Amino acid sequence: MNTLLIVLTVLAALALVAALFVVGIYNKLVGLRNRFKNAYAQIDVQLKRRYDLIPNLVETAKGYLKHESGTLEAVVAARNAAASANAGAAANPGDPAAMQKLASAEGTLSGTLGRLFALSEAYPDLKANTTMLSLMEELTSTENKVSFSRQAYNDSVMAYNTQREVFPSSLIAGTFHFTAAELFAIEEAAQKEAPKVSFS
Amino acid sequence: MDFFAHQDKARKNTKVLVVYFVIAIACIIASVYIASLLIFYGVHAKQQPGVPLSEFVLWDPKLFLNVMLGTLGVVAIGSLYKTAALAKGGSAVAESFGGRLVSSNTTHPEERKLRNVIEEMAIAAGVPVPKIYVLDDEKGINAFAAGHAPGDAAIAVTRGCMTLLNRDELQGVIGHEFSHILNGDMRLNLRIMGVIFGILCLAVIGRILIYSRGGRDRNPLMLLGLALIVIGAIGVFFGRLIQAALSRQREFLADASSVQFTRNPAGLSSALQKIGSVGSQLESPRAGEASHMFFGNGLGEPFFRMLATHPPLAERIRAIDPSWDGKFKNVSGAPVGNDASGGAAVRHGIGVQTQHEFQTKE
Repeated sequence: MNTLLIVLTVLAALALVAALFVVGIYNKLVGLRNRFKNAYAQIDVQLKRRYDLIPNLVETAKGYLKHESGTLEAVVAARNAAASANAGAAANPGDPAAMQKLASAEGTLSGTLGRLFALSEAYPDLKANTTMLSLMEELTSTENKVSFSRQAYNDSVMAYNTQREVFPSSLIAGTFHFTAAELFAIEEAAQKEAPKVSFS
Repeated sequence: MDFFAHQDKARKNTKVLVVYFVIAIACIIASVYIASLLIFYGVHAKQQPGVPLSEFVLWDPKLFLNVMLGTLGVVAIGSLYKTAALAKGGSAVAESFGGRLVSSNTTHPEERKLRNVIEEMAIAAGVPVPKIYVLDDEKGINAFAAGHAPGDAAIAVTRGCMTLLNRDELQGVIGHEFSHILNGDMRLNLRIMGVIFGILCLAVIGRILIYSRGGRDRNPLMLLGLALIVIGAIGVFFGRLIQAALSRQREFLADASSVQFTRNPAGLSSALQKIGSVGSQLESPRAGEASHMFFGNGLGEPFFRMLATHPPLAERIRAIDPSWDGKFKNVSGAPVGNDASGGAAVRHGIGVQTQHEFQTKE
């Protein structure tokens, strides 16, 4: 009788320890998931700012680049596509499909912007325009902010994914449907075309 | 540059130096103990000549406890007083240097650029955007961060820094300042300045003992006062040495962290090289008391190298870029400030001169 009681107590204690262990891992996963979601919110702020700046830029450039309307329209179209891709990604940060769509839309936008900047090199009046100068400074800065917040996002996604994949938390992640998050990596080819805005 | 390795090294050196600091205080307590032991036994022997020397005990726990509590108490009260006097928010410090607040919706192109760079680095470092100040009267290239917590921090840059550096270089300098904010260097320095002041208080108490109880019959107290003055002076000297060594380590740490944030060692190295030709000297008379907070050496080469708050420029550049050829960059490519003529004079005249000075010193 007495031994049974001891065995039961030991078993109960073990079950309690196991339950606490599971709860700990679960909470850790939730914390990491919230962290990368928050990191995405930071990117979202900067991307939105970038999408707000581009129409102003196009509006300013329009007066000077009368014969380049094709490039300007391409920029606007790429901007709209990127904005809607961002809306999709912001609704569900880390979702692989949404993130890949955003990455490719951002790549296209950077490419068309790069072409616009290359064109504007040929128009000294446009380059000297103070509105254009300040818009380009803002755009450079926003670009940098996006890349710094992208670093933070990618770091936190990596921490989450690692925690999700290592044993034994992989068992808990599988049971409670913690899905893999996707890095925000702008493709190599698009990156090469990233707008070069230099003021030195 | 392997910035994580450099950061680890600087952090480790900091810990060693903090241990030295604690050892220094232990040495002070031991010295005061030995001094009072000798004095009181000397007096005792004089008053009762019959007592044999064998009763002279080295270990007197009660006296030691009194000495320890007394010394620690003086140092603690002194440092609390000094810390309270120094503990002002970042913006108060920046304003006392003649800083002008850069508003968040400034339209001046260079201020805009400065603001943007600081906002970018705030994201990279993961701290809130500090208040931003420009020191309009300073032509050298320098910057500082002040404040105790990331929440009340301020960053101030000299006008030379804002106008002579390009975007990448400015990013390097600002990243360095963010490291000071993030690593709590201002707090560390404040504490150490407090403790050094506390040690200084020992000497002050020594002087009070000598003057207020100057009668012949109070000889032992006067001797103790003398001992306290000597111990206090030696303690302050070593305290300053350790403080300067600490500050140099934090500069290396900040350089390495700046490269971590920007991932662009060329920017920081080029900013340091421009300082090599333009100089980082400050005109403010208050530069001395805050020299440890600045990006570059604000006071010029110190008389005694071990008391320098910053490592030599060449050493900092080599830590970032080991292949540096030892020649400082000319600033000619940089945008010119409002006073084109004055700026040009600074660039050509002083540039050559400091470079020459530097090479002869090395």
